[in-house]
Amino acid sequence: MTILTRLKQWKEQSKISPEQHAHMAGLARGEPFSLFLELNVLLYAGVLAFVGGLGWTVSTWSEQIGDIVVLTVLSSILAACSWYCFSRAPVWSPAETPAPSPIFDYVLYLGSLVWCVELAYLENRFRLLSGRLDPYLLATAGLFFFLAYRFDNRFVLSLGLSSLAGWFGLKISHWSAHQDAAYRQCALLYSLLLGVGGALLQRRGLKPHFFGTYLNVVANVLFWALLSGVFNRQGYGVWLFALLITCGASLAWGLTRRQFAFVAYAAVYGYVGVSSMFLRSVNDQTVVLSYFVVTGVAMLAVLVQIGRRFGRTG
Amino acid sequence: MRLYSSSSEETLRARKLLTDWAGEGFLTREQYQLLQKETASDLRTTNIFLRLVLFLFTLISVGAAAALFFVGSGPSEQTIGVFSLIFAVVCYAAAEFAVFQAGLYRYGIEEALTACSVGFLCAGIQFAFLSDSPDSPKLESLVPAAGAILALWIWRRFGFSYAFFAAMIFGVFLPGYWTSSHSAQHLIVAMFYATGLVGIAVVRSRHRFDYLEEGYSLVEAFLWLGIYLAINLKLSSLDLPAQWWWSGTRDSSEFARPFYWTTWVLIWCLPPIVLARGIRQKDRFVIAVGAIAAVLTFVSNKPYLGWPRHTWDPILLGIVLTGVALFIRRWLDRGPGGIRHGFTAMRLSGKDKQWIDAGSTFFGLLSPQSITPAPHTSSPDVRFGGGHSGGGGASGDF
Repeated sequence: MTILTRLKQWKEQSKISPEQHAHMAGLARGEPFSLFLELNVLLYAGVLAFVGGLGWTVSTWSEQIGDIVVLTVLSSILAACSWYCFSRAPVWSPAETPAPSPIFDYVLYLGSLVWCVELAYLENRFRLLSGRLDPYLLATAGLFFFLAYRFDNRFVLSLGLSSLAGWFGLKISHWSAHQDAAYRQCALLYSLLLGVGGALLQRRGLKPHFFGTYLNVVANVLFWALLSGVFNRQGYGVWLFALLITCGASLAWGLTRRQFAFVAYAAVYGYVGVSSMFLRSVNDQTVVLSYFVVTGVAMLAVLVQIGRRFGRTG
Repeated sequence: MRLYSSSSEETLRARKLLTDWAGEGFLTREQYQLLQKETASDLRTTNIFLRLVLFLFTLISVGAAAALFFVGSGPSEQTIGVFSLIFAVVCYAAAEFAVFQAGLYRYGIEEALTACSVGFLCAGIQFAFLSDSPDSPKLESLVPAAGAILALWIWRRFGFSYAFFAAMIFGVFLPGYWTSSHSAQHLIVAMFYATGLVGIAVVRSRHRFDYLEEGYSLVEAFLWLGIYLAINLKLSSLDLPAQWWWSGTRDSSEFARPFYWTTWVLIWCLPPIVLARGIRQKDRFVIAVGAIAAVLTFVSNKPYLGWPRHTWDPILLGIVLTGVALFIRRWLDRGPGGIRHGFTAMRLSGKDKQWIDAGSTFFGLLSPQSITPAPHTSSPDVRFGGGHSGGGGASGDF
């Protein structure tokens, strides 16, 4: 029985009204057909291509074009975006606020990215802070957090989170072995600050829908940091203990809140950490493979049970 | 042929639609609870995260079990091949059993088992029949051919659309065994996909508005994309995955001029055709492929014509994309009730918002790394690239 037949049946049984039937049957037939998602993707791709080209052009032709022209163009775009956003924004509310216009989020995103390009240009051309990048990153993170909370924008919140991560010295490509401990400390501090900050903001009711974004970033950074400690040749016990506690917390959170991404994090990161500890001194291939067979099946059994009890939906 | 009964799959689809509509407020809570009881399914489903993790651990278990079988004994290649073929049968049978007995539906486990069966089949044929035989391209083509056939069977039997995509990938490797002409290889692959497209178009017309429509839509989109990629000879110059697509970057001079320019005409003709088909069918996936093909045509046009790229090309592309999006949105919004010709720019499904929220978080984190390409300045004094500032940049690539 197709959904259209079902809807007709439910209408005849008075389980849904004729108006509901007409509306939902239309939706099931794609009448009207919404292009909402496609148009948003097109806008996002357009903004990204535009700023990418802008950065490329500026970096390649700045000498020929001249600083004044470059800075005038970038500042004009920035000013236009700022004017648009501040003049169109509704009165601030701590709750989730819909964008005042369909393009509002993308204008704000464009402005934020152009700000990045302009700042990078200024520092690299004029060395205003003698190549010290920390103040830029911190100020930019602050600006992006302000904009994200003022205009209720996840794009800019994510930019703020990555800027703050930059300020903390987190950059995956720089994660080399000899700096492991320093980066791990930065990552842990970053996770702590973000987790506590996000929780406090949520408790105070300030854009509580952002909390999921904070938690996902915190969880991943924290798990990577702890795993890097577990991979240490010495003194890994404390990191393993911390990893297990974090896995437990992630699992509990995922199951109670029905956010199964956290269950997946706990399963995968926990498995990697525990396996690395068990297998670090094992050279026998048979033992290693047997370990993977037994633990793989055990994980499957546990996850199937979790799936049966909690995970049908979502 | 299908492993699941149509009533079970139709019920699952109804359940999903009800959840979506209830989330949008089209149904009251009481109505939703009542109707949900009527759409109880005998199939066991799970959410996407558990599905992925179950897939991963099934792969680990099966892979380790198979490797364990060969460790220590040092079997010959033929023995490995024969046992791989047996493993392929066992994995496939286990997948069928998991569905038949436990009612698993997109559960990760049965999906990983079918994936393993394809892998074992290809490895088995390679080791059992081809390892000791002299070079025989026609015989070697058995491996991708068998992989493609099994993947197609899995698609028909289990309904995994990505199995069809896997079959298409296997199909890419086949012409290389039959002819050394690159033009012929492109042509054969395009013909494969075109034949598949005709078949799908005929079959899917019988499944308007039922549970199979989405699957066929996705498969048709794959085929359109495959045809486009097969005829666009210049995509390799964009450092797209040319290495696995056609064993490296190609020089245009290796293609005959008529063939080369015919493909240039075709890459301009295909996007509007695909877009028109998608819009006529109101098919989200086909529309998306049409849009992707259009962007790829813009991007690969200059290399086709031998014109140099400019740093401002992406700016123009960005303006075009944004302009098109704004024009369509405004045009639709001005229609009565925000609807024109059955299309609207309004959001009608909660899923769209979920996608936008997840996408904005994910791409917001990534985009600072990708907005600026590697710097190449003409003067040592001008050192814009390589900076680490730029706020969201947080990146040495900035």
